[in-house]
Amino acid sequence: MLQVLSLRKTFRSKGDEVEAVRGIDLEVGAGEVLGFLGPNGAGKTTTIKMIAGLIRRDGGSVRLAGRDPEADRHALADLGVVLEGNRNLYWRLTARENLEYFGVLRGLSRTVARQRTAELLARFDLASRRDDPVRILSRGMQQRLALAVAWLHRPRLLLLDEPTLGLDPGAAEVVKKLIQEIVEEGHAVLLTTHQMGVAEEIAQRIAIINYGQILTQGGTAELLRRFSGETWRVTLEEALDESRRQRVLELGGWLSNGHVEFMGSADGLYRLLDTLRPLPIAKVERDQSNLNGIFLKLVGGEADA
Amino acid sequence: MLDLFSAELRRSLTLARRYPVEFLSGVALLVITFYAIFLGARYVSGPLVQFGKELDALIVGYCLWSLVLFAVNSIASSLQSEAMTGTLEQVYLSPFGALRVILTRALAGLGLNLVITVLLLVTLMLLTGRTLSFPVTLVIPLLTVLLAAYGLGLLMAGFALLAKRVGQFLRLGQFLLLFLVVAPVETFSGPAKLIGYLLPVAPGAGMLRGLMTQGQTLDPETVALAFLNGVAYFVLGLMVYRRAEREARSRGLLGQY
Repeated sequence: MLQVLSLRKTFRSKGDEVEAVRGIDLEVGAGEVLGFLGPNGAGKTTTIKMIAGLIRRDGGSVRLAGRDPEADRHALADLGVVLEGNRNLYWRLTARENLEYFGVLRGLSRTVARQRTAELLARFDLASRRDDPVRILSRGMQQRLALAVAWLHRPRLLLLDEPTLGLDPGAAEVVKKLIQEIVEEGHAVLLTTHQMGVAEEIAQRIAIINYGQILTQGGTAELLRRFSGETWRVTLEEALDESRRQRVLELGGWLSNGHVEFMGSADGLYRLLDTLRPLPIAKVERDQSNLNGIFLKLVGGEADA
Repeated sequence: MLDLFSAELRRSLTLARRYPVEFLSGVALLVITFYAIFLGARYVSGPLVQFGKELDALIVGYCLWSLVLFAVNSIASSLQSEAMTGTLEQVYLSPFGALRVILTRALAGLGLNLVITVLLLVTLMLLTGRTLSFPVTLVIPLLTVLLAAYGLGLLMAGFALLAKRVGQFLRLGQFLLLFLVVAPVETFSGPAKLIGYLLPVAPGAGMLRGLMTQGQTLDPETVALAFLNGVAYFVLGLMVYRRAEREARSRGLLGQY
């Protein structure tokens, strides 16, 4: 469905150059979710916008169902995009008006746009708020509506940039479920998120990016298997000081919920324990690997949750 | 395309109906401003001075200015506000192409604005007690004025794509537009006449004044020159906008404000 090869982008401003994307290869098949993960500034949004033709690439190629959205605007009929935040809808129009308007904007006839609007308002549980202006809808409803707008013309590929960001757990769960339903109908989804749990749950494949390069890419289950059994969690009785925290990060460890976590060999673990000496250790345990651990091992840093 | 036009028309009518205060206050402000200028001029000139054709020309110029201002802003300000609210990128994801959507939107809004302009014209005629001519032929110079105005709108929109905050520039542009609409190019002679034909909007505005205030007929040569003027500024606007759009995509500026 989507093939991205050697994608490159450098931004130039006032003599400075920033290589935002450095030779990325990606592939998303029909009925598949690719979780595209990376820290802030890693190049995720730039990549998504280059795929959609919103940013001109410096090199590489993008093929969406065989066509290039940057060169062929008709290819956009196969694409739906929810960009990060609440910037995808007209706030002064109602939910129904947004759907009907964007349906026509995406190339549907007025009649089909109206039919699909009625269907999606019911399916996305927005029918009771159909005539309310978007500005008074809750953030969760706005995000559901943005997803419905992106999916209205049944594109083959959905690009979703942080679709669950800022949503309460209940609203995030609903959005997650809707994405899964869309994928079950054979549509492809490229999803960026900072919420590793979301990616682990709904993405069949994962690509982790940092500094504009793919660090690893593969099936979610395969990645978890590859890294499993190598994760250690050390619980300390005292907080870590700054110099030890730095040393932990240098050794490839990371901090998560106040624990020190490490993924690697036994020798590596002993070096880490030496660094922690003489802080009192409450517990050392082998942990089941998860996407959060893999992500932090590959990009380094601290987890929020 | 018809569906797109009708969707844009519904969208502009919905917004005008939903926010009537914004809509009506705009019209009221135009009437009040004109009346203030009119009363001020009468006060300065003294009670014995009678306004005649000059007042007619002022009414035509003022209404035309509001129409031209709307045409320019319907493209430039609307694009700037879409960039600010973030929906511009969604417009750019349309298979119709963003430029076609923006122009269709401007055209859909034009109908509504023509109604406002006619209402404004009638109100000003009632307030001043003057009568103007409305020959069918006024459509021709009006078209040349609108072509040039949309060209200027595209030009400003191109700047807005790259520079984003062009609000001050647009406000300054209002005065420039006022000058272009009221400049008496039809009375220019020598090299000034040539310059008059090169100014955007001005040749068509001059013809409109002649038609509506002096009962003149259309001179084919002047019509051709005004038409060339309108097309040239429209094409220039298209070219500048396309170039700016390419640059904005390259620099990743479409979604920023």
